[in-house]
Amino acid sequence: MSVLAELKQRHVAATETLNALKAKLKQKRLLLLDTDVAGYARSQGKTPVTFGPTDLVCCRTLQGHTGKVYSLDWTPEKNRIVSASQDGRLIVWNALTSQKTHAIKLPCAWVMTCAFSPGGQSVACGGLDSVCSIFNLNSPNDKDGNLPVSRMLTGHKGYVSSCQYVPDEETHLITASGDQTCVLWDITTGLKTSVFGGEFQSGHTGDVLRYVTYLFSAFTNVYLEMISAAFLASMFVLGFSVSINGSNSRMFVSSSCDSTVRLWDTRVASRAVRSFHGHEGDVNTVRFFPDGNRFGTGSDDGTCRLFDIRTGHQLQEYSRPHGENEVPHVTSIAFSISGRLLFAGYTMVIAMYGTLYWQRYVVFFSEWCFNSYRPSTVMNVYMYDALFTFQLKFLNQQVVLNLGSLQTSHYGRISCLGLSGDGSALCTGSWDTSLKVSCDL
Amino acid sequence: MQTGSSGEVRSVVGATDTRGKHRISAELKRLEQETRFLEEEFEQLENWREHLLLVKSKLLINIETRPDPLLPVTNGPVNPTWDRWFEGPQESSGCR
Repeated sequence: MSVLAELKQRHVAATETLNALKAKLKQKRLLLLDTDVAGYARSQGKTPVTFGPTDLVCCRTLQGHTGKVYSLDWTPEKNRIVSASQDGRLIVWNALTSQKTHAIKLPCAWVMTCAFSPGGQSVACGGLDSVCSIFNLNSPNDKDGNLPVSRMLTGHKGYVSSCQYVPDEETHLITASGDQTCVLWDITTGLKTSVFGGEFQSGHTGDVLRYVTYLFSAFTNVYLEMISAAFLASMFVLGFSVSINGSNSRMFVSSSCDSTVRLWDTRVASRAVRSFHGHEGDVNTVRFFPDGNRFGTGSDDGTCRLFDIRTGHQLQEYSRPHGENEVPHVTSIAFSISGRLLFAGYTMVIAMYGTLYWQRYVVFFSEWCFNSYRPSTVMNVYMYDALFTFQLKFLNQQVVLNLGSLQTSHYGRISCLGLSGDGSALCTGSWDTSLKVSCDL
Repeated sequence: MQTGSSGEVRSVVGATDTRGKHRISAELKRLEQETRFLEEEFEQLENWREHLLLVKSKLLINIETRPDPLLPVTNGPVNPTWDRWFEGPQESSGCR
């Protein structure tokens, strides 16, 4: 046999070996998932947490924004919150006293995200201007009475949808952007330290849609949207998300445009440590589990999932019941301080057709109908027992967080969630312009 | 070498393929390298079965030992500052 013929034969054999190995590997991974966390917990004799109807109550309502609240963040110490709104302002609150300590007029009103620095001295925000702006809360106001921007972090080629300070570092933060990259910034110099991702730079059509939906949402209030045919807001704020590991601040996770989540080491920007597969739709929100060895995700496929960072395995899936034509997109998630509770904020999107854009178009109109007749059903926060997949019983479709009485419920979509530093309170921000703080009685 | 939608690799080395032996040799090396990576991953999976059991048990221990103010019943010391949300205002100007 000639050398060439022999090589060809070996090539064919090697191809067959590789394919067989891939199939074996896939099978093995499936077998390894024979019990999820819920199965394991049950086998250890654990039972789901039970909540009474008044166990979680709303103890503060923070009023002051004149537009939809898009984002919120607590200080690591106990009581302060920064919120970002459609009204083009950041407000810093003392949640305990309900007082506003700062109302910051933003140079660009189209804000999407905000964050508090670890020491509580600064706040950061980002949005459609593709810039992350830093404000030092101790600076004197300028001649117009506004708090001046102390640093602008420029360089992203798309909107900034998520930002988070590196824990315990007042001078570093990470942003996630519609340009499909995450950037680690040095605030002192205003320069990029590292850029993560970027191989999907061009042509992601979902991106254009997010710009349009943000713009539309920014120009309408919650009532106007109910009577408009282009209720695009289901898409808005569902931008790329980032979460830094509280136990090892060199690691962070970011959602990617291909329904995956990536784990990054800030020392290695060239490639992700690992990709996590499982979701069947865009991943809108990611959040590290308190112990730093796992993280949770929320997606347009209507589910939240828990992943293990070391193996890449999906440990658990959380989903809520919904009608056949309804797709509850997850917009935000948070864990309680022990990790036992998972809070998931949803928006209800009705899918009428199978194809992507038709589906979304009809969704806008349908959501308007849905909203008019059953306003409370789109504004849901569900609380899951993270060890089991059961929704905790008292949270039902008619009530948001069952806050004791309907007067204390949000009447607009809940766009953001966050737990206080000591885990004693959950804050929810809504399109009804208010923030509410809830605690366990 | 082509990859189908299921991730399967199809050999395009046909009987009438006239590409040089160097090119085929290079492709063969790539296939063999990928096979080695996958074999390593397969071995690691065996270890991961134990690891996953450990992960789940650690998750359970972790969750149950950390005091959580939002749970109706929690282990560990209760921090009195958790109740600050239910304390009245510091000023008594409202109480006339």
